[in-house]
Amino acid sequence: MNDQDTKRRRTDRPEKKTGRAKRADALKAPKKLKLLFTVVDRKKAELYADLIGAYGVNLQIVLPGEGTAKTETLRLLGLDDTARAVIVSVIRDDLAPAIFEMLEEKFRTVRGGKGIAWSVPMTSAVGVAIYQFLSDYRDDPAKANERGNRR
Amino acid sequence: MTFSHECIVCIVNTGFSDAVMDAAREFGARGGTVIHGRGTASQEAERFFGISIQPDKELVLILVPRDLTDPILYALYRAVGLKTPGQGIAFSLPVDQVVGLSTLSLGENGEPKSGDVAP
Repeated sequence: MNDQDTKRRRTDRPEKKTGRAKRADALKAPKKLKLLFTVVDRKKAELYADLIGAYGVNLQIVLPGEGTAKTETLRLLGLDDTARAVIVSVIRDDLAPAIFEMLEEKFRTVRGGKGIAWSVPMTSAVGVAIYQFLSDYRDDPAKANERGNRR
Repeated sequence: MTFSHECIVCIVNTGFSDAVMDAAREFGARGGTVIHGRGTASQEAERFFGISIQPDKELVLILVPRDLTDPILYALYRAVGLKTPGQGIAFSLPVDQVVGLSTLSLGENGEPKSGDVAP
């Protein structure tokens, strides 16, 4: 056995990883984040915020907004109920399809719950703790399973 | 990466959101959402340039097909741009997925699964 063989064997052997190294590995390929905008009737804002929140979304901001009335006639007649809420949520990219599917279904089925939702990709976030908070990254697999069952 | 829709954000002085929507509708936008906000501007810059910035703002969000973005942004620049009383700025954000547009459902990357395109 020559020196090269010994070297190769040494490098082939998997390194034993400490808990900290494992955590660092998990953070090597972070999940991308998106900003989800959901515009719904103001009365339904809480419902939709809760529905989105069930997907491990830790930061949501509900802003009161107004829809733009379709016609001047409707506005003059007072038939334009324009009170809307804009829900801004930070969601994980891999959960986006499930969230959009849920929203599409709810927009169709909830009475008076019609709305519109779109997402904008986020390109950066500063700070590991902030990222972990926004992406709902947790070490404890039991908690992750619990969240999975809730969904 | 290009997507089928974009979100136009237009920030104007309070009371000018109707002017924003009128300008946007002319080029095919269907509707928007207005959020009230408070602008912050550098007071030193205000003094230097001899202008005053009204702090109360309206932020108008309009979701439009990508091909309408440029004409609408240009219309906003002319109707409520910084040199008008609306003192508005407008920009667009890429939208990678969307649901809830009337009569159509969109899939990944905002491509329609079927039928027409109407925001």
